[in-house]
Order: sequence, then structure tokens, then C-alpha cells
Amino acid sequence: MISYLIRRILIAVVTLILITFVIYGLIRSIPGDPITVDMAQSDPSRSLSPEDRKRLEKIYGLDKHWTIAYGQWIGNLVRLEMGQSISRKLPVARLIRDRLLPTLLLSVSSLLITYILCIPLGLWITVRDGTVGERALSTGLYMLYSLPSFVAALFLQLLLSVKLGWLPLMGMVSDDYEQMSLLGKTWDIFKHALMPAACFTYGSLAYYTRFVKSNMMEVVRQDYVRTAKAKGVTPVGVVWKHAFRNTLIPLVTLIGLTLPALLSGAVILEQIYSWPGMGSLFFASIRERDYPTIMGLTLVFSALTLLGQLLADLLYAVVDPRVTYS
Amino acid sequence: MTGKVNTQRSRGFWAESWQRFRGRWLPMSALLIVIGLAVVAILAPAIAGTKPVICKYKGRLYFPAMGYWKRSWENPVFFQDQFYKRYPENLKEKDPLSWAIYPLVFQDPFRRVRDGEVEGQPGNQPNAAPNGNNWFGTDQSGVDVFAQMVHGTSIALLVGFVSMGIAAVIGITVGAFAGFFGSWIDVVLSRLIELVMCVPTLVLILALLAVIEKPTIWHLMAIIGCTRWTGIARLTRAEFLKLKELEYVTAARALGVGNVAIMFRHVLRNALAPILVPITFGIAAAILIESGLSFLGFGAPPPNPSWGTLLNAGRTNMDSWWLVLFPGLAIFMTVLAYNLIGEGLQEATDPRLRQSQH
Amino acid sequence: MLIQINSSQRFLSGSFGRECLAGICLAVCLLSAACEKSSPDESLLAESASHGAEPAEERETLIEPFDPPTLEELDAQVTWIDKPVLDAMNVSREDQEISGPPSATVDEALALRNDSFDANATIVDALGRLPADDQAVNWESQFLRRLEGDVKSTNPLMQSSTVESEVLKYFSVYLHSYDWNMKPFGNANYVETWQTSEDGLYDKIVLRDDMVWSDGEPMTAFDVEFSYRTIMDPAIPIPAVRTGTDKLRWVQAYDERTIVYFHREASATNVWDMWLPLVPRHIYKDSIAEDPTLQTSEYHVKYEQLPVVGGPYKITRRVRGQEIVLERRDEYYMHQGQQVRGKPHFKKLLFRTILDPNTALLALRTGEVEECSMTPDQWLGQQPGDSFDKLNIKASGLQWVYFFIGWNCQSPFFNDKRVRWAMTYAYDYREMLDVIYQGLYEPCNNLFHPDSWMAPDPPLPMIQQDLGKSVELLRQAGWTDTDADGILDKEIHGEQVPFEFTILVAQRPDRIKCCALLQESLDRIGIICHVRPVEFTVLQQKNRDHEFQATMAGWGTGTDPYSNENIFATEEDRNYGVYSNPRVDELFAEGKAMLDPVKRAKIYGEIAKLLYEDQPYTWLYFRNAFYGFNRKLRGYRFSPRGPYSYGPGSDSLWKSAAAVSH
Repeated sequence: MISYLIRRILIAVVTLILITFVIYGLIRSIPGDPITVDMAQSDPSRSLSPEDRKRLEKIYGLDKHWTIAYGQWIGNLVRLEMGQSISRKLPVARLIRDRLLPTLLLSVSSLLITYILCIPLGLWITVRDGTVGERALSTGLYMLYSLPSFVAALFLQLLLSVKLGWLPLMGMVSDDYEQMSLLGKTWDIFKHALMPAACFTYGSLAYYTRFVKSNMMEVVRQDYVRTAKAKGVTPVGVVWKHAFRNTLIPLVTLIGLTLPALLSGAVILEQIYSWPGMGSLFFASIRERDYPTIMGLTLVFSALTLLGQLLADLLYAVVDPRVTYS
Repeated sequence: MTGKVNTQRSRGFWAESWQRFRGRWLPMSALLIVIGLAVVAILAPAIAGTKPVICKYKGRLYFPAMGYWKRSWENPVFFQDQFYKRYPENLKEKDPLSWAIYPLVFQDPFRRVRDGEVEGQPGNQPNAAPNGNNWFGTDQSGVDVFAQMVHGTSIALLVGFVSMGIAAVIGITVGAFAGFFGSWIDVVLSRLIELVMCVPTLVLILALLAVIEKPTIWHLMAIIGCTRWTGIARLTRAEFLKLKELEYVTAARALGVGNVAIMFRHVLRNALAPILVPITFGIAAAILIESGLSFLGFGAPPPNPSWGTLLNAGRTNMDSWWLVLFPGLAIFMTVLAYNLIGEGLQEATDPRLRQSQH
Repeated sequence: MLIQINSSQRFLSGSFGRECLAGICLAVCLLSAACEKSSPDESLLAESASHGAEPAEERETLIEPFDPPTLEELDAQVTWIDKPVLDAMNVSREDQEISGPPSATVDEALALRNDSFDANATIVDALGRLPADDQAVNWESQFLRRLEGDVKSTNPLMQSSTVESEVLKYFSVYLHSYDWNMKPFGNANYVETWQTSEDGLYDKIVLRDDMVWSDGEPMTAFDVEFSYRTIMDPAIPIPAVRTGTDKLRWVQAYDERTIVYFHREASATNVWDMWLPLVPRHIYKDSIAEDPTLQTSEYHVKYEQLPVVGGPYKITRRVRGQEIVLERRDEYYMHQGQQVRGKPHFKKLLFRTILDPNTALLALRTGEVEECSMTPDQWLGQQPGDSFDKLNIKASGLQWVYFFIGWNCQSPFFNDKRVRWAMTYAYDYREMLDVIYQGLYEPCNNLFHPDSWMAPDPPLPMIQQDLGKSVELLRQAGWTDTDADGILDKEIHGEQVPFEFTILVAQRPDRIKCCALLQESLDRIGIICHVRPVEFTVLQQKNRDHEFQATMAGWGTGTDPYSNENIFATEEDRNYGVYSNPRVDELFAEGKAMLDPVKRAKIYGEIAKLLYEDQPYTWLYFRNAFYGFNRKLRGYRFSPRGPYSYGPGSDSLWKSAAAVSH
């Protein structure tokens, strides 16, 4: 097991290097660089002279070929230095650190809610397959799925925030957050996170419920289930004690698959709710061509994705007795 | 006890599956809806447009509405005679003997119909609620929503197939090879899957839009397809890992069937069920992705009368409920239809269900 | 059935696999070692700082060596002319008094709905007045403002976007200001006297002696000289702030209050070159040597977060990407117990960063922000009885920002003036103005607004869509449909080339609509136009590299029409379309040197006429400014550069101490 882990981690490092190399080449090849953005946004009566442009390029390391610049970045990374953000004038590590917690807050809570809701729903749908209730529920879930998140976000903002005033409109904390007690602070963050988390989650309900159902349907037809039923096990017992565990493999795969999307997929919602997450930072950095930040974020996203895959593979060994690692 | 052995050839996997699929009314009606949408997509220029479906001009028959499909199919004689793409008044003026049959609804998906273009119909007002001339209302530029939705149907239907088609083909192939052969092939392919999984789609799309001269929605969808196959690959791989040890695989091998044939003729059919879920969802999701891209500013360039862009246009002004309701309903119907078909397919093709009915 | 995953790892369980991995890791380490190592402080920033700690006076500089005369020598050889030193607030107040009493009372104006030009004029007139006396102002109020993006740097030398200038205005020191008509004057808050030499080569400024930085140190002329040197330091990544400043010959601080600016030549634009932002010398003079990036070392990061400032407000809190809080500085307007300057109207300013325009409008409705710019859609989308009207009121004003379609004059399609005019005639302006922009924007046909002092007289005629004329002009230029396929073509270098081109545009829905309208208009006359929305950065880059056939973009107005030289003179920086007219170049040079304002206006009018005849741009519209303001706010006025970018600009806003009527 340990040697397997070590092998996986070493391979992951190689993968990370490959990915960052490819991504760096890609973003450097897109027209425009951080200086273009600077100039573009200034006062129209001010522009950068060519000499000044060259000087800025030199300072930001843009005058070298991108492979060399990449090598420098890797060299710094080995020293645990992620560099300085060009547009935000802060160390990249600090930028990411500030945004990691809000992102995780949103993603993890969304993931938890999804699983807590979808597994019972999926099981219920399996058991009641074909009944009117099940059809209605499925249809309702599909309706939720077909509503894009930004439409729902706006609607929720209008209803819950502007009209009813129950929830705050945007942001992660209120203006007087600093003065609150610990309980107050938790409650404040909870209120702010409710709408974004809801918008983030509702769309995936349909997908995961159906996923659970399709796996369960397959399992329910198996012989051992028929045997259990014949032996008089209650339907609930059949579903829970016998059938469900065998659907865990695909579910575990799903965990590994959903992690990447959770981390960077919230760009739209983060923009609408002014949620200080990594998704909007990524998007803004790409627009500003802030290469150090883009690379730092890519590294973090990829590392977390690979970690998720590793976790999924390890969980396989836990849930499926036929699988071992040695 | 020499009973007669049934020597009738079995009908084959697909024929049997179709037989079972037909028997269920819900997936069948869903299929009919999709076919209906396809018909609407093909007949779009005849349903809504400002070019005549068929007209006789200066003694010859023309089909200007074909211009909606391809520009060159709209005959250049109208250009030479300075129609400037306005048919009703010009036809009458330039040839009093001409006649024309216009589409069902005289509205254009790409532009606002102006005053006086056709008798008895005023120009479109921007942001108009549904009314007699604009069945689904108009958007902020005054372009008719019904016409946009009709002409956007082909995009809505195809866009999912393009992206999911690419994703499914790549994903199933990679996952099958990885799961079936194991050993170093699995290692390499798994790492390939991880590599592609880590690539941020946003960067790819931006790079594409910056580099390609004339990006269209199909380019965007191809990119989406090329990054979404990883999920399908992982699922396929998991299934193949499980199934390759079963007896019928060993039996097939003993019979000398080649590996590829085993993979795609024997194992795949049994692995199809869980894979169908992301595929059917993915087809429907493509429209939503297109809408999301529109929100971020990377929508397909005009003219692009798609449901996704309509939805995005509607979000800035919640008072124009028709911009959200009609495309939303259409998307919902498509999502529902595809998923019902998917469910039906799943149950029709799942061999274990077949067993359980005996 | 035991499925052993390790069988799939057989490749790696062998020694060969292990060696491979080790080899790869080694290669990576070698590669990173082989590449130039940069010290942890700089990472992706270059080695320019590694010259070791040098005293500030000996750093490399872009300033050419110069031996300034002493003050006595200078006073002897030069005749000084006094220039105006004014308090921007008084200028504004006098302006308002000249225009007469308000056309309605505040309550009447607040009761109006801003749905017509007249209603808007009344509202702006009544609510835009400065306070009649001190009692009218709520001095303890706070002002909640919206930012469209993040403030990247609080250092005035590093400002690179409009977002920053919005915030920096409140705490930065500017020795000059300009009024509503963009006439410059010395800022009476900091400057005691301002004199220009008769020959136009020198400017002398004497500062006041009652200014302190927020850490208590007095502000002196040495801060000005130091700021100049810092801007001209090549090792510091100064963005476009250096423009204009680099035209100065020298800046010398003779004592704590006297500064003389030396110019290279006499020109009407010299006054704008003196416009340099100030930083405190005592904070930065020793730290630059060690960290010229001004943003890496601990010391500099600390001052980035909460800088030492000299303006009316100071930063008390900053959360990146979320908000900035400013508070009024007592030591700004009080000195040794006496009030020496106008008291800033607000006690506290809170800037919220809201990226999404929808959310911003919602925040305005709930009162979480008290001012917000609005898009035309949002402006028109308010219904009577909306919650918007409970707390807010709309106001709009003129702005000299114009949008245009720029043609690449080197492209085989657009190198002929007749083709460019054909494009202008083909475009459906009425549709754009009446439908896309719902009558909210003004039409534009040349680079100067008809109300500006440099507009051509008589005004140039607006163009109406005329497809017949367009086709005729194209025919004259050689474009006809020779192969009868419905698309115009022409023989170029022996080949039949169809008239098919691409127009680049930023990813903004309304601009894309304008380009779609162009596409539609041209489609009617047999020209295929592809609309290609691209990222703003890509647009800029492609424009600069002249890699486009047509592009849609806009320009704001600089403070002096000379800034257009950069756009239209031959081979200038922003002449993206490679337009060239020697007569225009001549006229620009004349306009720069000419000091008589009447003659200058004529010169620029002539330039506008020539540009109109050549149509390097098809001018589309002037984009006015649309804002929603909280009902408690007063004092907003719209200048051609918007409500905030002139003197007094954002300083003129105040909140009424009276109870608000709804």
C-alpha cells in the first residue's frame, strides 16, 4: 500500500509538471500580456512609450522565451515560491491562501448537501420506480436541472434579498463582521453562503439522483437481491443492507470526478454573488494575463484534482472487496 | 427426450433492444418529441422567416428561403435587382405578375422587422411582451423570440450531439482500453485521463477564440467535447475492470474472438448502463454550457439565434419574463426528452433486465 | 475473483519503472537548476534590483543630466506671469451661481421621475448644487460607493486603471486640477502661487506651508522632486503614469516650498506634463534601492495595504477584492487649531467591489451602495413603483466618450476612401440610436463633440443610411458582383477577391449588437461581414499590431485635444488603422505650438473636417453617463469626463442633513 502511494505521488508530480508546462505555453501564446492590459485601461491621454514597454517587459520577465520563463517558475516552485502577482502586487501564495477557504466552504458544503440529498432520493426513486410520485419527483428534478444557475441566482437575489430581505445580497461577510462574536460570525457566514451554495447544488441533484438510480437498478436485478427478497428481508433492508453497497464503486468514482468542477466551476456564481473564491480569481487573472497567478491556481487546481483521483482510487479498495493494492 | 431445439436465429442485440424500447410509452413519446424538434429544425425557414419559401419572379420559380441554410442558395437575381433583402414590396414593385408564399410567421431570427416591410404588420418593438405579431415577444433589440427559437432548434439539437459525440467516442475508447487491458496500458491511459482532467477548459476556450479566425459555436462545442470525455472514461474504465473477469469474456477468448471485438461487442453492451447517464445529461447540458459561456462573454459570435443566448439576454431584465420562460421551457423539454430516452435506452439494452424477465 | 490493481502497475513494480521515475525527477531538478535562478524576493521579476543597496541619489535614471540655475538666476532672467490658483469647490460654486437659481426645489426634483430630457435637466440642476451653508451638510455621513473591479495598488505611481483613479482621488495629492471645461488651474488646497514664464519654458510653484502627511510629517517641495525622480526611475515598473512626465526637462525643489519645472519647449500642453502624483519622500527614499518594484518587500507591502497619504482621506481598511474604507483626515483641513481648507463632506467612504452589473443595481436598490453607473437597459428597465425609487433617483449627463468602427487603411478592402464612405452610408444609424440604445445616446460623426470648444464650425452633417449611394461608391471603387453569386468582388493582384471581412469587437453585448447591425446592413448590399467578439486584451493587442480589418472601439476624451495626435497622426501609437494624412500631421504640430485659444480652436476644427472627409473611422455615438444616486446625495455634476473626473468632481458630493422626502 505504501509503495503504491509513493508511486502515485511521484507520478502525480510528473503529471503536474506536464500540465503546468502545457498550460503555460498555452496562455503565453494567447495574444496580449499584462502590459497590454495596463495600457488599455489607463487614461486615453497617456500611453506607454516603446522604451518603457521594454523596461516593463524586462521587469516582469516577459522578454525571455516562454520555456525559459517556465523554467524559472519551476525553479522558484522548488524553493516553495509561487511568485508575485503582476496585476495585484501581492505574493501569489497569499492571494490563493486568502481565497482557498471561501472556495472550500462553498464546494464542500455543496458536495455534502448533494450527497446527503441524492442518496436517499436516488434510493427512494429506485424503490418506487414507475409510480406517479416518482415520475413527478424526477420531472421536478429535471426542471431544476434545466434552469441555468445565473437565472436562478438572480431570481433568488430578487426574492430573498431585495423583496423579503431575509438573506444578504452578496459577499461573504457583513460590514460589521469584525465586531461580531464567534457565534455571530458563523451565523453571518452561513447567511451569506446559503444562496450561492443553493445555486451551486440544485443543478446537480437531478444528475446524481439519476446516477444512483441507474446503478441501483442494475444491482436490484441481481440474483443475490432476489434471494434476499425471497428470504423475507424487508424492501428497505434489501435496498440498504444488500443492494446499496454494491453501487458504491461508481459513487466513489463520482467523488473523484466532481472535485475539479467544484473548485473552478463556480466562476459565474462567484461573480454574481461577489464571493471571494478562486474561480473568479482565475477568471480575472486570465483576463489580466497575470501569469504567476494563473500558474499558481492551475497548480492548486491540478494538485487537488489529482488528490481527488487518488482518494477515489483508495476508496475503491475500501468499498470493493475485490480490489486490492499491493 | 429429444425435444425440438429452437433454431431460429436470435434477432440481434439492437433489434431486440429496439423492440423493448418501443414497448414503453414514455421513452417513445420522448423520442417523438425529439423527432418533432428535428422536423422543426429542418423546416425552420418555412416556419419563420422574411424570405419567401417559394416565389415566381419574372417567369421563373425561386426558393429564397433556402438562403437561411446557405447564403449562396438565395438566388443572386434578387441582389442584382436591388432587392436589398426586402421581398414583399420589391417583388410587387419589380414584377407585378409575381407571386410568393411566405413562411408561417413573417419574422426574422437575425434582425428586427421594420415598419412597412409587409402590409398589415407593424415593425417590432424592442422588449415587447408576447402579442399577435410576436408570439413569444421580442428581445431588447426587437428581434422576434419565436423566430429565434425556431431557427435555434437545429443548434440546440446538434450542439449536444457534437460535444457529447466527441466526448463519448474518446471517453469510451480510452476507458475501455484502460479497463480491459490493465497493466501498463491502464497506467498510461489513466495518467492521460488525469492530465486532461486537470486542464482548465476556460483557458482552452480563450486560446481557441483568440487563435481561430472565424470561431463558431461548433468550435466551442468541439473543445467542450474534448475536455469532458474524462468523466466518461473513468466510468467506463471502472465498469470494464469489473466486467472483464466474467465468464463470457473468458469463453469468448477461448473461442478465439479478438480483443477489440470482445471489448466492443460483448463487454461494452453490459457496461453501457451507468455510462448512459452522463452521456444523456451531457447532451442536454451542452445548451446550458453555451448559455454559461454567453454569460462570461465567450458566446458564439452573431448571428447566433440559440436558446442559450436568449436565456442569457433575459437575465438582465427580469421583467421580460418571456425571454426566460420560453427558452427555459424549451430547454427543459429537451432535457426531459433526452433523459427519458436515455432511461428507456438503458432499460432496453440492459441484459440483466432481460434475464430478470425470464 | 480477486482483482488486483497492482497487476496494472506491473510496469512500475519492476526496477525499470522505478529507474524511469527517478530519471525524470532528476531531469526536472537539473532543468530548474540550469535556468537562471532568481532570488526569492523577485521570482518572476528581473534582476534589476540586485545591484545592491545604492543611495537613492545615485540610482540610474531616465532624466538627462541637467544643471539647473539657482533661483536667483532664474528670477533674474525670466518674466513670471501669474496663473490661476483656485479652490475647485469655489470654481464650481461660482459656476452654479452664474447659471442662476435652481429651476426647482430639492423636494420638487426628488418627486420627479427621470424619464425625459427635461426631467433629467431639472433633477441634475436642483440636486447638483453645492451646499448653501455648513448647516445643510451632514458632516458625519458616510458614502457607499461601487467599484467595478479591484484596486490593484494604492500607490499613486502605480495606478493603471480607472478603478484605481476613482479611489486614489480621495487620498492622493494633486497640485493641479481642471474645471468642468477642462481649463487647468493650480489647486489652492496645496498651492499658494503658480507662475509661468513668459517664454513658456518654466513653471514655478510655491506650496503652502500647512500640509502634513497622514503620519504627521510635513509635506514639502522635496516630496515633489522625489516623486519626479521616482517616476523617472527605470527600475521601477511604472505603468503609463510616466507619459507626459517624461516630457519634462527637469524638476528642481529649491527649498521646502518652491518648485520649478523645466520644459523642453514652449507648448500649450506643458501644463499637463506637470501633472505628477506625489508620494512621501521620507517613506520611500531608502527602501526603493532594496525593492524597486515597490510591492515585494515587507516594508512596501505594509504601505501598500495602508499607505501614508496627503489627501483629504486616509485608508483605514482594505480587503482585497471586496472593499476599501476611507476616513476623513482631520489634519488635512485643520492646522494648528484653525480650519485652513474646506472640510471634506463625508466622514467615511466605503467602496464595495461588485463585478456583476446586475448585482450592483440590486445593491443600489437595497441601499448597500449609494451610487452606481447604469447601462441603457438598466436605465430604462425601472418601472414606476419599483423599490428603486424608494431610495434612489436616476441622473444622467453628457460625456465625451465616442464609439466608432475603425477601418484598417492598409487592408485591400479599406484603403480606398470611397469604400470607407460606402460603409458609412450603408450603416443603419437610426436603428442603432433608436432601438439598440433606445434614444439614450447622442449621434456622433467626428471626434469632437459639437459643444466642445474645438468642434468644427459650422458643424459637419450627420449621415443617413443610403444603400443606393453606398452601392454606387463601391462600384466606383471597383467592387461589383462579377460572378453573379450575390457577393461583391474585385480583382486584386490578378485574383477575384470577394468582399468578405471580419470586424473585431470587445465582448460587450451592446457593442456586439452594433456590429451585428453592421453585418445586417452590409448583408443587404452584398458584403459579408463576420463579427468576432474577442477578449479586451486580445482586441488591444490585435489593434496595436494592426492585425485586423475592422474593429469597433471607443475613446474617452483627454484633457487636451492634442491627445488625439496619438490616434490620428502618421505612425503614432494609437493609430491602429494606419491612417496617414500629412496635412493632418502638420495641423497637429501647429495646434501644439499655438498658444492663442481662438486660433487653436480653428486648427482643431480643421483637423476634424479633414478626418471627416477621410473617414478612417465611421463614428457611431457619444456614450452619455447614466447613474443612479441615493436620494440623500447632492452635488453631482456631469463633466465631459464623467461626474467624478474633474475638479472638484467627486469632492463636490455631499449628503443633506435634512430628512429625506420620498
